[in-house]
Amino acid sequence: MEFNENQTQTVLVAEPKVSIDKPELINGSHALIRSLIEEDVETIFGYPGGAIMPVYDAIYDYQDQINHILVRHEQGAAHAAEGFARMTGKVGVCLVTSGPGATNMVTGIADAIIDSTPMVCVIGQVAAHLLGTDAFQETDVIGITIPITKWNYQITRADEIPEIMAKAFYIAKSGRPGPVLIDITKNAQQELMSKSYSYKKCESLISYRPRLAPKQHQVEAAAKLINAAKRPFLFVGHGVQIANAEQELLAFIEKTDVPAASTLLGLSSVSVDHPNYVGWLGMHGNYGTNVLTNQCDVIIAIGMRFDDRVTGDLSRYAKQAKVVHIEIDPAEIDKIVKADAPVVGDAKKALEMLLPLLNENRHEAWRAEFKKFDAIENEKITQPELAPTTEKIKMAEVIRMLSNKTKGEAVIVADVGQHQMMTARYYEFKKPNSFITSGGLGTMGYALPAAFGAKVGAPDREVVAMIGDGCFQMTIQELGTIAQSGLPVKIIILNNNFLGMVRQWQQLFHQKRYSFVELQNPDFITIAKGFGIDGHTCGARENLNDSLDKMLASDKPYLLEVLVEKEENVFPMVPTGACVADIRLE
Amino acid sequence: MTTYTICVFTENTIGILNKITTILTRRRINIESLTVSETERKGISRFTIVIRHESRDAVEKLVRQIRKVIEVLAVFGYLNNDIVYNEIALFKISTPIGAKPLDIETINKVYKAWVVYWHLTYVIIQKTGTEEEIFEFFDYIKPHEILEFVRSGRVAVSKSPQTLVDYLPEAEWEYYQ
Repeated sequence: MEFNENQTQTVLVAEPKVSIDKPELINGSHALIRSLIEEDVETIFGYPGGAIMPVYDAIYDYQDQINHILVRHEQGAAHAAEGFARMTGKVGVCLVTSGPGATNMVTGIADAIIDSTPMVCVIGQVAAHLLGTDAFQETDVIGITIPITKWNYQITRADEIPEIMAKAFYIAKSGRPGPVLIDITKNAQQELMSKSYSYKKCESLISYRPRLAPKQHQVEAAAKLINAAKRPFLFVGHGVQIANAEQELLAFIEKTDVPAASTLLGLSSVSVDHPNYVGWLGMHGNYGTNVLTNQCDVIIAIGMRFDDRVTGDLSRYAKQAKVVHIEIDPAEIDKIVKADAPVVGDAKKALEMLLPLLNENRHEAWRAEFKKFDAIENEKITQPELAPTTEKIKMAEVIRMLSNKTKGEAVIVADVGQHQMMTARYYEFKKPNSFITSGGLGTMGYALPAAFGAKVGAPDREVVAMIGDGCFQMTIQELGTIAQSGLPVKIIILNNNFLGMVRQWQQLFHQKRYSFVELQNPDFITIAKGFGIDGHTCGARENLNDSLDKMLASDKPYLLEVLVEKEENVFPMVPTGACVADIRLE
Repeated sequence: MTTYTICVFTENTIGILNKITTILTRRRINIESLTVSETERKGISRFTIVIRHESRDAVEKLVRQIRKVIEVLAVFGYLNNDIVYNEIALFKISTPIGAKPLDIETINKVYKAWVVYWHLTYVIIQKTGTEEEIFEFFDYIKPHEILEFVRSGRVAVSKSPQTLVDYLPEAEWEYYQ
């Protein structure tokens, strides 16, 4: 009988062969796991299936070195890896099968690229000889994920694995981080390598050379603008946290005395207690930060990309200001807002180089202007939200009470919608690296798996997921993952029985035509208990304090459902297409 | 609308065309012409992409986005003035018995085009030149029946004395012998 090459490949055994005179040859799956260990991967979020089974067989041998966490849906694996990566700064690793396993990852990968989250997704694929034949669970994952990955690659031979994995981790982590997808055909997982396994970490690539240290002349031009500024305004983006540049940023703020505002993903990089911190930017950001964006003379933007939710109408955005843009991704320079002094480089390195060139400065009068706006915002919005006269609980009170109880030092993972904006507004972040949310993609269902991933990454920190009733039902199955792990993730559902943000827009811009936004919700507590997670519902203001205490005191995962005001709106608000200076307070 | 020629140097591996075109598609930029082939350096491909756009700013942003593709070594955007460029066109012209004969002298001397294949009932003429020159010849030859016409993508070389090596000094190139 004749065997063709493909048939013989499937006969090869997964066991590593050791012999005296020949080098040790291992198969692709073992090479893959060893590569992960070389990259100091301790945790994998995954879900097995046909095309990835050889790798799962190999993991069985490495359980003492790698902690594999079985999620309940591949999207959960992606978001958990994101949460882990955002928390630790390490690369989040996912392992899933071909076809639906891969397509279920797509939302998470798209989320990771837009929020610059380092991730390596290893995905099984049908055997190479079946590619293009519409084989069972075959999908063109490479084609699908080109626009949403930093890099993707299909491995079809076991020999490629060590080098490609080294490249994958280098690309995911360096420069502006992002997701890398590695598609491994089943034959590459099964076949033996033709040479002995050796691993060399990738340290550079000829075609990809992210600039860490900015050019001196760019730094000097930036320093000149900052030193001459009368009304400088600092925008702190996600890049500060990614670069671990919080200390340098603090030194910058203290030397220059600039007021500092944060983007959504930049939250927690500067403590709310810092006298120079003036709030956050954008659509539901603070009153003063938005209005004074159009009155400052120099914007110093660090690690941010001028998202449309930050800028509002671009033609009326900060036209009076010169812009210093410190950013590691050269494609972000001038993409939205023209930079007068672009500084391409890592935020930490750029700030280190910038600091000695800056003059000591004082800007008390300019900073005091923010206070005037704060007073108005406080009177019109913040105080009524925090001390409401309504019968039902308001989201803001829950969040502020949680903030006080956790001393502003918990890791808060917010989902997407009104509760997210309320969390950003009312949680008083006092510790860096404490806020994780889906900013760019706005992925509902992000928070539950991401909070779990964050807790895996930082088991010693209190991790609280703030989730809306709509979002919760998008990835509710990950309660199973959390229950199985036993990790004490704290979950708060702010339940208003509405898709609140859409309802708010329908109220404000669509004449209250509430089109498909009201939810008939299940009994969340019963569901949680079904998963083995304890919880309770709080519907009355007088019970809120005890409810939060009970949740925080639990050493197990815990679900607290808070029934909140059904039709509250998030303000201030810069409506789409409006100018930041025209921010609405009601 | 201005014509831009974008030269992209990439690793010569599977799927790079897809990685580049998706960047154009997403920004609703149409490809007017495209040529891809390996360069004088082993394993390095050169893409020559011609696009038309009203905004230079948008093209500059496009170039920076293409640069982000990991396999891309360098990207250059050029205006027509910056480059020497050409295309090649093949015309299959009907020459049935009894038809007006082709004026080969004019075709050769005026239009710098060459008959490269003879058949009983048709000839194939090859014309190299810019898009305009090719269409001038097209208009000239049109009275004879054009059975088939095909035009290649543009190939272009910059007028700058610098080469890719100047932009990537640390690269170790392997040249063909």
